[in-house]
Amino acid sequence: MALLEVEDLRVAFGNSTAVDGVSFTVEEGKIVGLVGESGCGKSVTSLAVMGLLPKGRGPKRSKQPVQVAAAEPAGGVVKAAVAAPQAVPATGGRSRGGGADVSGRAVFDGTDLLTLTPSAMRRRRGKDIAMVFQDPLSSLNPVVPVGRQITEVLERHRGLKGAKANQEAANLLDRVGIPDPTRRLKEYPHQLSGGMRQRVLIAIAVACAPRLLIADEPTTALDVTIQAQILELLKDLVDHEGTALLMITHDLGVVAGMCDSVNVLYSGRVVESAPVRELFARPTHPYTIGLLGSIPKLDLPIHEPLTPIRGSIADVIRWRDGCAFAPRCDRVAEACVEGEPALVGSLHAHRCVLAEEIA
Amino acid sequence: MLRYTVKRLLQLAVALLGLTLLLFAWFKALPGGPENMLLPENATDQQREALRASLGLDEPIWAQYADFVGRAVRLDFGSSLSSGRPIATELADRLPATIELSLAAMLIAVGLGIPLGYLAAKRRGTWLDFAAVSGSLLGTCIPIFFLAAMLKVVFAQELGLLPTTFRLSAGSTYTEVTGLRVFDGLITGEFDVAWDAVVHLVLPAIALSSIPLAVIVRITRASVLDVVGEDYVRTADAKGLKPSVIRGRHVMRNAMLPIATIIGLLLGSLFAGAVLTESVFSFGGIGSFVYQATTERDYPALMGFILVIAVFYVVINLLVDLSYGLLDPRVRVRS
Repeated sequence: MALLEVEDLRVAFGNSTAVDGVSFTVEEGKIVGLVGESGCGKSVTSLAVMGLLPKGRGPKRSKQPVQVAAAEPAGGVVKAAVAAPQAVPATGGRSRGGGADVSGRAVFDGTDLLTLTPSAMRRRRGKDIAMVFQDPLSSLNPVVPVGRQITEVLERHRGLKGAKANQEAANLLDRVGIPDPTRRLKEYPHQLSGGMRQRVLIAIAVACAPRLLIADEPTTALDVTIQAQILELLKDLVDHEGTALLMITHDLGVVAGMCDSVNVLYSGRVVESAPVRELFARPTHPYTIGLLGSIPKLDLPIHEPLTPIRGSIADVIRWRDGCAFAPRCDRVAEACVEGEPALVGSLHAHRCVLAEEIA
Repeated sequence: MLRYTVKRLLQLAVALLGLTLLLFAWFKALPGGPENMLLPENATDQQREALRASLGLDEPIWAQYADFVGRAVRLDFGSSLSSGRPIATELADRLPATIELSLAAMLIAVGLGIPLGYLAAKRRGTWLDFAAVSGSLLGTCIPIFFLAAMLKVVFAQELGLLPTTFRLSAGSTYTEVTGLRVFDGLITGEFDVAWDAVVHLVLPAIALSSIPLAVIVRITRASVLDVVGEDYVRTADAKGLKPSVIRGRHVMRNAMLPIATIIGLLLGSLFAGAVLTESVFSFGGIGSFVYQATTERDYPALMGFILVIAVFYVVINLLVDLSYGLLDPRVRVRS
C-alpha cells in the first residue's frame, strides 16, 4: 500500500472550486511531482493534505441562479448546463476571508487525514508529515532566533529540551549543510542568506524524521546555483532516510532531475500522470506537450522565438461541459467540448479525448 | 545597542532644545507682555520699566533665551502667579498623583485592550468582533467629562460602591515615600492605605482609560489580522505546534511591535490629558493645576507644565524606541 493515497480530493472556497477531484499516490522512498502553472491547485492540494487550510462552513448558496435546463420531455436529450463555479484566483492557496471546504480522502499510512480532529492532526504535522515552503524569508519568524524555531518542533514532537534540543538543532543545521551551526542557532532569519534560510526550513521539516515531506516550490525564490544545492539536499534526504517526497513545482527541469513519477495538474484536475521517463518520452495530453514545448532549448538558433502555450488559465473551472484546456489547445476538436473528459489509463493516465490521435 | 541608545539620547536633547525655543517664542508673542498681566491697568511707565528690569526683560533677546533655558535645566520655572509658590514645587507635589492615575488607566487599557483586540481578530466577523469594534468606536466618541460624570452617578451615588473624589478617604494617615500611594502603601506595609488608594483610583482610571482602551483594541485587532496571514504563522502551524505557542511566540510577539509604539504615545497623552478626569474627581494631580493655571492665565505655570510634559513624552518615546530594539532584532542590527 502506498504511504499517501489521495483520492478524489476536492477543495472549494465558498462557491469557487480550487481542486476538483484530484487523485494520486506517493510510495515510501519515492519522489512524486505535482506540476502545473499558478492557480492550477497544486499548492491548495498540498495544504489540504497538511490540514493547513482555514476551515469553511460548507458551500453557500450561489447568488447567481444555477441554470439547470429542465429536461424536455419531448426533446429526448437531457442537457444540464450548470453554472460553472468561479475558480479561485492564484493566491498560492491562501484565503483571507472564507475558509475552505475539503472533501475526498487523503489516506496516510492507513489513516484518512481529512477525518482527523484538529488536535490529532497537530500531533502528526511536523512529525509524520512535514512541509517546506516556497519563500524562505517570509516563512521564518523574523523576531525569533532560528535555533528556537528548530528546537520548538523538537520539544513538541520529540520531547527534547534545553541543551539537548540545542545540540540536536546544531546537528540538524550541520546535516543540511550550514557551517558553524552553533553560532547560527542564535542568529535571526534576516542575518542569513536566502539559501541558508531555505536550509533552515528544511532542517525544521526533517527535524522529526517525517515519513512524508511536502516541498512547495522550494527553490522558486532562490538563485539558480543555490537551487541546485537545495534540490541535491532534498534528494539526499530521500535517498538516505527513505522519506517520501511530494514535490510541488512548475519547473519541469526539477521534475526531470528529481521525480520518479509526475502528476500534471490543470485547472484543479490531474490531466496526465506517468512515471517521469514515460512522461518526457511520450507526453499525451496537449497541455503536457505544450509545457514541454515551452522549455527554452539551448541548441536552437539565437533568434528563434520561444513557443508559449497561448492564453492563460481560465478564471472558471469548466470541466463539466468539456475540457478546461480546450480554449488554449491547438488541436481542439468538437469532441473536446462535448462533456467531461475522463482520466484514462492506469500507469500512464491522461485526460484527453484525442489521445489516440495524438499518440 | 549602546550606539543606538546614545544616538537616540542626542536626538532627545535636540528635540527638547527645539521645544524650549518654541515655548520661548510663544511666551514672547503673547500680546501685551507679562508686565500687563502682573501690574494693574493704571500702573505708571516707571513701574512698568522697573518690573521689566526685575524680570530681565530689558536684556537682549538671546540673553533672555539663554537665561530661560539655563533656569529650565535647573528646574527653575519661576513662581506661580496665582499661588506665589515655586512652580517646580507645585508640579512635584502633584505629579505623583497624575503618574499613578495614568499608569492605572494604562494598566486597564492594556490589560483589557490586547486580549479583546486579539479575540476580535481571531473571531473576525462574529458578534464579538462587532461588539469590540463598535465598543471601541463608542469609547473614542464619548467625552471624558460625560463618562466620568456618569460613572460617578452610577457607581458612587446610585450603587454606593466606590468613592467619588480625592485619592484617600478623609482622615486616613499615610506615610509618603514616592507619592504613588498604592506603591507607598505596599512598601511601607500600610496595606489598608494601598487598598484605599486603589478604591479611589478605580473610577477615575476607568474614565481615563476609555480612549486608550479603544485605540489599543483597534490596533491589536488590525495588527493580529496582519500577522496571522503571514507565512511564518503557517510554518508554525505546519510544525504542529500547540495553539498557545503559535499565539504567544509567533503571532503576538510580532503583533506587539506596532502596539508598543501606540502604548508609548498614549501614555504620554494620558499625562497631558488627565486634566478633565482629575477635575471631575478632584484628584489633585497636575491636571487640576493646569486647569487652574489656564483659567487664571498663569503663563509661567503653564510653561513649566508644558516643559515637564514634553520631557515625559520624549522620554517615553525613547523608552518605546529602545523596547522596539529589544522586540525586533532587525532594528538592532540596522542601527
